[in-house]
Amino acid sequence: MRILTIACLVLAMTGTAYAEGDPMAGKRKAETCMGCHGIKDYSNAYPSYKVPKLGGQYAAYIVTALKAYKSGQRWHPTMQSQASNLSEQDMADIAAYFANMKKIEKTEE
Amino acid sequence: MNMHKMTLTVAMALGLSTTGLPAAAEESGDGHDDSAVRSGKEIAQTCAACHGAKGVSASEGFPHLAGQHESYLVQALIDYKNGKRQHQIMNQMAGTLSRAEIEAVSAYYADMPGGLVTPSRSRADN
Repeated sequence: MRILTIACLVLAMTGTAYAEGDPMAGKRKAETCMGCHGIKDYSNAYPSYKVPKLGGQYAAYIVTALKAYKSGQRWHPTMQSQASNLSEQDMADIAAYFANMKKIEKTEE
Repeated sequence: MNMHKMTLTVAMALGLSTTGLPAAAEESGDGHDDSAVRSGKEIAQTCAACHGAKGVSASEGFPHLAGQHESYLVQALIDYKNGKRQHQIMNQMAGTLSRAEIEAVSAYYADMPGGLVTPSRSRADN
């Protein structure tokens, strides 16, 4: 278990450098995103699983996902199309906007 | 009892006896019996190392899972399992899970309180 934790931490430290995000700018830029991600329990027609909840998610993770969609490394026709229009700063701002919506605290377990 | 009634009775008996069988004995397609599936909570003990015991992860490298939509988590794990989505650790983690276990652990995280929310403008304006 310890080796697994260390392996996780090592991998987490790679590739997370990104532009600083401004949630106020992100609010404006995320209008399109809210069309799907802002509707409770929304599913696309295809693929038909529910669009993920983004409120409170780590900004860095959202940026990673957007980059993966933009590069085509991660598949999803709509998301690839959406992400292809975003600059790195756009991604950082949008991600900061969603991340700031809710402060999710890791409490003692 | 005449032949027709006998046939009908046997057919009904067979029909009724095959309803209500538990789905637990179905195969996941990878050749093993899913009836010994672990609970979502048990499976999540492995996930907790990175994703936190309550689905709230300590590091931005690992996404929060608490409260995430079940169908989304299921699809993510399926995609990690079959390699459609590439991530060294997650490919390995999901590879150990049967379809039934994927559904169980996804449901477990989806039910966790205090986690992710659907974005809303009113929430953002607070």
